[in-house]
Amino acid sequence: MPLSTVQATATRPSIFLINLLLPLMWATQTVQSADWPGWRGGTRSGVSSESDIPTTWSLDHGIGWRVALPGAGISSPVIHGSRVFLTSSDGPRQANLHVICLSRDDGRLLWHQRLWGTSPTRYHSTKSSMASPTPVTDGKHLYTFFGTGDVFCFEVTGDLVWHRSLAAEYGPFENRFSATSSPVIYKDLLIVQCDHYGPCYVVALDRKTGDNRWKVDRPDTWLSWSSPQLVTLTSNNSQELVVCGSNRIDALSPETGRKLWSLGGMRHECIPTPILAHGLIYAVSGPKGPTLAIRPGGRGDISESHVVWRNVRGAPFVPSAIVAGDLYYLVDDNGIATCLDAHTGENIWQKRLPGKYTASPVATRSHVYFSNEEGVTIVIRANTRRYEEAARNPVGSPIFASAAIAHGRLFLRTTRDLLCIDGKTKSSN
Amino acid sequence: MTRPQIESGNHTSTAGHRRPETDRHGIALQQPGADRKRNWWSGCVARTAYTVATLALSISCASADDVDTSLATIRAVGPRGSGSTSARRARDHIAQQGIDVLPRLILAMDSDNIVALNWYRSAYEQIVDQEWKRKQPRFPLDWLKQFATDQKRHGRTRRLVLRLVDRLEPGFRKQLISTLYNDREFRREAIDTLLRQADAALSTKDLTVARAAYQRAFRHARDSQQILQSADKLAKVGVTVDVVQQMGFVTHWFVLGPFDAPGKSGFSRTFPPESQVDLSASYTGQTGRRIGWKQVQTTDRLGQINLIRAIASTREAVGYAYTELNSPKQQDAQIRCGADDNLSVWLNGQSVFARKQWLNGTRLDRFSAPVTLRTGRNTLLVKICQGPQHKNPAVPNNWSLQLRFCDPSGSGVGLTRLLPDPATNNN
Repeated sequence: MPLSTVQATATRPSIFLINLLLPLMWATQTVQSADWPGWRGGTRSGVSSESDIPTTWSLDHGIGWRVALPGAGISSPVIHGSRVFLTSSDGPRQANLHVICLSRDDGRLLWHQRLWGTSPTRYHSTKSSMASPTPVTDGKHLYTFFGTGDVFCFEVTGDLVWHRSLAAEYGPFENRFSATSSPVIYKDLLIVQCDHYGPCYVVALDRKTGDNRWKVDRPDTWLSWSSPQLVTLTSNNSQELVVCGSNRIDALSPETGRKLWSLGGMRHECIPTPILAHGLIYAVSGPKGPTLAIRPGGRGDISESHVVWRNVRGAPFVPSAIVAGDLYYLVDDNGIATCLDAHTGENIWQKRLPGKYTASPVATRSHVYFSNEEGVTIVIRANTRRYEEAARNPVGSPIFASAAIAHGRLFLRTTRDLLCIDGKTKSSN
Repeated sequence: MTRPQIESGNHTSTAGHRRPETDRHGIALQQPGADRKRNWWSGCVARTAYTVATLALSISCASADDVDTSLATIRAVGPRGSGSTSARRARDHIAQQGIDVLPRLILAMDSDNIVALNWYRSAYEQIVDQEWKRKQPRFPLDWLKQFATDQKRHGRTRRLVLRLVDRLEPGFRKQLISTLYNDREFRREAIDTLLRQADAALSTKDLTVARAAYQRAFRHARDSQQILQSADKLAKVGVTVDVVQQMGFVTHWFVLGPFDAPGKSGFSRTFPPESQVDLSASYTGQTGRRIGWKQVQTTDRLGQINLIRAIASTREAVGYAYTELNSPKQQDAQIRCGADDNLSVWLNGQSVFARKQWLNGTRLDRFSAPVTLRTGRNTLLVKICQGPQHKNPAVPNNWSLQLRFCDPSGSGVGLTRLLPDPATNNN
């Protein structure tokens, strides 16, 4: 069953066909399904609709190209058509920002913008930099957000269109791992979640001018690193902007920022991004926090009314979760992988994977990819209720960034370089 | 597998010596690798030429041309993306002018408007890239070198220019930075170099050189790690230095508490010391027992005081710390502080800092506020809140304070304590 047309499941998964989620947005009409236009792809849930993606590679096989990167970062590559976009940062306090564009086919540098960030924060020495948020593109423009509190808009050909310094306008960001929230496109808006030690807010910028269309303060929230998620309900065609923060999940109207519903139960600090599948929102925050499968579309406090299932098994602190088919997968920071039934939350299996994990998994229709901090990607078969490992693939450098899948290839960012995995090329080395 | 590279290496021009060209402001445009004698006299000439040329650029701005208009357009970009469309056109116009406008552009970048700066930088990168693509690139190298060493200019712009200079004259950066241990922008790298030199001397048992270099590093360092590193190395060569004095930490206090403050009410609740500090008074504390001021002194190298030891192991409470400090003169300074959970600060009875935030760790220089110190006696009162226990009982409920007075560079401002030495209650 294609992931874009899976059944919604509310409380009786096999009966109701409601609340069909259409994660493809008005604004991404120019983005093709083979693209990977932002954080965790077009669905922002880490799943590609492609099936013919390499599952095995090694240092001397299957790597189409490998490009050394300027600076550091854990943002994911973004792919649109023949272009691959990526951000990084370097220099004192990581305040020098880089936005680069490479040729998808051979890794050739197409353009490189160098910029200054307003307000660099503390960051994790190896697991983050000011380039932790993943950019997003509509195919015409590229939008980048950095931990320095800066948002930039570029033509996809590299020309700077506008720059907003949120840190200069609303106060410096204060963070201990650097901001990582990746902005989302909604119609003609770019929505940025800014939860930090200082005043927290969500702001919707006019994509054309960078001006505010709305800004909502979040006085009861503090530091989080989660990215906003868009939910489209076909039942009434309404849309909800879901944001995870301290101890709760909020849904806002993406048009106005007005709060629609709220739900408690998250941990004090949220990092994983909520995902969408089967008409449900899956939100997890850890360590040792719960996964909540939530029916969207409520109003007010829905803590008691809209939770379809709850399971505290295997919650990660950093990596986001993923739903592939009817199964819900988690890997925690220490490598404990957990598989639950996506419809009921029932435990299916738990397995220790090698290494530690910061990157979030990605999936195709047939496989799930877990990349560990040692640079090994463990590929397991999806659509089976048993743990079936297909391959372990090293790339020789640590991986903290989540992978991207586009145009038949897998893109992996290591601490040093970006790799295009085509599964075919033999190394000339 | 192909291996493309981002960031091409140094440009390898083979240009020989030629008569220096100049732009319309008389700034010499040179090719990479052109011969230049380096001596005191040529240094003076270069500095004078830089000053004259920079002045000329300022004067030319008075008779505005198209470039000045474009620079001003970019300077005018405001918040919320305002002026972006005009800035984009202006950036394109500036970039089209090529290398001749580079010094004017760099001078315009001496600004705090980060949005304007990035527009300028966008033009800068285009001009520099275009110039490198020419068969014989011409850069105003001497002017660029003088700008990079001009401490009146903005650090980030100097750093940008220095990168270009280093590409034009490989090794220049390394040589320059080793001398900049009193430079706001490059101090940290210079101290690193100095410490490496000292280590090298120590490894060859040249104690005199090593000691002098460590002492210089300690004197000029502002980064806490470098200060501690220098102090530790000096101790190994028989020299004792005072980190607390160098960084301006306050280490001697009277403390009082705990007052009862259920939940997170402590920040907004007022207790008697906020009205009047009476070091001989006693009050009813959290558990109903009488509490009074007691003297404590921290021996922590970075001035952190553990309030659990100094006051009590408790939660949902408020404590106070008080001291008096002598300033040799009236002076502007910075108070830099941090606390677990949060703190409010009064200097000479005036509130100078307060931040309502919970579940904090005490981190060096986490918060900063400008203050003016009087000549002679200055009173300092700090309120430190202790929040509820974390949901996870394994998470320690720390309670601590760290505070210092320093100049903008981070060097202590010479305050001495007026309170008598505490008995022996070392914290």
